[in-house]
Amino acid sequence: MNRTSQPPSAPLSRRDFLTSAVAIGGGLALSFSLPAQEGGPPRPAGPPAAPRQPSGFLQIAANGAITIITPAVEMGQGGHTGMPMIIMEELGGDWKQLVVKDAAAAPLYNNPLFGQQSTVGSFSVRGWYTELRRIGAAGREMLVAAAAKEWGVSPAECTAANSVITHKPSGRTKTYGSVAAVAATMPIPQNPALKANSEFKVIGTSPARNDVAPKVDGSAKYGIDMVLPGMLVGAIKGAPTVTGTLKSFDDSAARGMKGFHSTVALPNGVIVLANTYWQAKSALEKVKVEFDPGKLGGIDSAKVSALLHSGFDEQGAVVRNEGDADKALAGAARVVEATYEVPYLAHACMEPMNCTVRANGDTAEVWVGTQSPQAVQAAAAQALGLAKERVTVHMQYLGGGFGRRGESDYATQAATAVKASGRPVKLIWSREEDIQHDFYRPAAAIRFRGGLDASGKLTAMEARVVTSAAPSFGGPPNAGFYTSSVGDMAYEIPNLKVTGINKDIGVRFGFWRSVNQSHNPFMLEGFLDEVAAATKQDPYQFRRSLLQNPKAKRQLAVLDMLAEKSGWPKRQAGHFYGISAFGAYGSYIGSVVDVSLKDKTIVLNRVVTVIDCGVAVHPANIVAQLEGGMVYGLSAALRGEVTLKDGAVEQSNFHNYPVVMMSQMPKTECYIMPSTEAPGGVGEPGTAPIAPSLASAIFAATASRIRSLPLSKHNVTVVAARV
Amino acid sequence: MITLNINGKQVNLDVDADTPLLWALRDDAGLTGTKFGCGMGLCGACTVLLDGQVMRSCVLKIGDVGTKAITTIEGLSKDSSHPVQKAWIAENVPQCGYCQSGQILAAVALLKQKPNPTDADIDAAMTNICRCGTYNRMRAAIHRVAKGTAT
Repeated sequence: MNRTSQPPSAPLSRRDFLTSAVAIGGGLALSFSLPAQEGGPPRPAGPPAAPRQPSGFLQIAANGAITIITPAVEMGQGGHTGMPMIIMEELGGDWKQLVVKDAAAAPLYNNPLFGQQSTVGSFSVRGWYTELRRIGAAGREMLVAAAAKEWGVSPAECTAANSVITHKPSGRTKTYGSVAAVAATMPIPQNPALKANSEFKVIGTSPARNDVAPKVDGSAKYGIDMVLPGMLVGAIKGAPTVTGTLKSFDDSAARGMKGFHSTVALPNGVIVLANTYWQAKSALEKVKVEFDPGKLGGIDSAKVSALLHSGFDEQGAVVRNEGDADKALAGAARVVEATYEVPYLAHACMEPMNCTVRANGDTAEVWVGTQSPQAVQAAAAQALGLAKERVTVHMQYLGGGFGRRGESDYATQAATAVKASGRPVKLIWSREEDIQHDFYRPAAAIRFRGGLDASGKLTAMEARVVTSAAPSFGGPPNAGFYTSSVGDMAYEIPNLKVTGINKDIGVRFGFWRSVNQSHNPFMLEGFLDEVAAATKQDPYQFRRSLLQNPKAKRQLAVLDMLAEKSGWPKRQAGHFYGISAFGAYGSYIGSVVDVSLKDKTIVLNRVVTVIDCGVAVHPANIVAQLEGGMVYGLSAALRGEVTLKDGAVEQSNFHNYPVVMMSQMPKTECYIMPSTEAPGGVGEPGTAPIAPSLASAIFAATASRIRSLPLSKHNVTVVAARV
Repeated sequence: MITLNINGKQVNLDVDADTPLLWALRDDAGLTGTKFGCGMGLCGACTVLLDGQVMRSCVLKIGDVGTKAITTIEGLSKDSSHPVQKAWIAENVPQCGYCQSGQILAAVALLKQKPNPTDADIDAAMTNICRCGTYNRMRAAIHRVAKGTAT
């Protein structure tokens, strides 16, 4: 088999040296080395913490079972299938013998791209692709070496596939399991040969996701399903205002209630503990709680909007400055100007936030579905007064993540209740708590000014991007983060200035599926559509004209494929199209939305999505992510809005935070650009294109321009077409 | 003590009569396949069948269940052999999967009533929320079952 070595220019990471091969129970376990300083603080004195998984990423047992420990959690995005596929590709293992386990909370599993153990930001395949291939390839080489040694032949005479090593000249075979123990004693290849893309047998195929079966018979265990002996269940009431704090509570009316155990005070709420959830919730309703509304006790959505708009006149941080946009705009024959704005959004994962914690003396255990196991570990440890290494996190399936489960507030609360009660606790939030105490997608606004020359050419553009998030959003202060897809746009405009401005309003903000791309492309693509309309250009051809630089070729190719697949040049009478395409999360994505007009109602005929995500690891799952991401974005575009009044979130449940349902689901078509580029993200990008494409389609149909979301604010009704 | 007929078995539960069926199933009967999503009968994650009809168990007090036969996802089949479960697997419907117990039971009830539902029937009957956006796959899975029973 032809194999290519890693190109010497490949970026080296700290895990480039495979040093840990351990014989475990007659098998092989492969891991990476960890420099000492990255292993965390020294283990505290005393007995070791609760047992960790033995080691590493890959274990091969004597019976042939291949255990792959996945650093990406499973929240429906396919982490438990995609990660193993990458190792199995190079390992040549038998897929039927695969066992998938979640990684423990440990620095070993920090994503190489950003240094945290978090399944976020469409980073999993991007961050782990090369490292997992190397693990698989090293495992294969060690297994082959072990078999060759036993046969007394050269490893070069052997091949390996489907968990079987074959000595080609003699036809003898050995299974992986039978040589696993010997393989563990083989030298660890420091630069294992990786397959050429053309040799892939697993990557690019679509095996059944291994979390599907337990999800159709009720056996899949989510955090909320955890049961422990002697466990109490907690129901929580948080402060009604976004900055509220607890003043006092009186639970005398709850004390005699069946199953009631105790009330736990939190800085911003109370938890009632009882034997069952319903008992806890019923008792909670009898607890009188007084809150201090806090510094934002008087805020409302109009004030949020005014604060955002006040940011347009602030200096901010210039993230891109080409040519001289100020001068070019001053001298432009015509200036097109528009302001775009979006509201706060809640995540509304189907599984309300929850966390189960048990303290065992000087150790503790947490059962939770989380995107960030180490954050949960640290939060629980802090609340319990333990070193974090003494807290074991048992990963459960996530009933939706979307960024909300990257936070760990629920773990702090559950651990606080454990400390107060001395009992194991499962804390379950109500839907009302979930909507009203979220880490919201920040409200944001952009003011654009585009300068046209006498011929109508867009020669200058200024974008002032204002976010309601604090400068710390996304890490160290970095305006490049929240201006993404605008500051780093591929469109070529000779005089271009993009400025980012933080108006830290104080409302809790967080990562919401597609994050900044949940609004910036809506705004930028909308504005470009305005320029196209103002200059009477075809929206597709206008975008093409700005993408002629070779550096923009992947975005241009996506745009062209969208036009081809949607039939853009041959739009039928009565069909109005909107188009958008942009880079996001290491991929290029776009969509065409096809609508018709029936009386004053927008009929959504279909949504055509194209992604160039580099090498497509699991194409069927990529399509599922594109469909699902689109629905998440469509819910937000149609009616998604978290509004504030008197310092409190006005929405509370699905009746006033409505989301797309079956009857509103449009027909979808998804296409994946063939590519051998490095893998890009998939889970986040799919959410982004629907809002801009839909808004542009609505303009094409009605000549009315949507510059803020949701559409329900504009009395626009959208229904899905049915044949 | 209240006696319920759950998945073909008589189950005695020491629970107050005003406890929602959802929480009696989850916390007292140990059947966690039925999920809590909203507590207001809005999302359908808690859907069970009551004498074959869909019921949102978060808003039904167990004192009002009477002798009706309750079917939860655990009682649909022993081995995921129900045609709807098979179709769900074939179409790779679930993503996070949290709403799928309820979705599957809603589809079972629909197909029992209308073995060959139109898209409009599916739109009208499938009113459970899926935040992962698996709607078109569910629709395809329902049509798949219909085709299977039609032949």
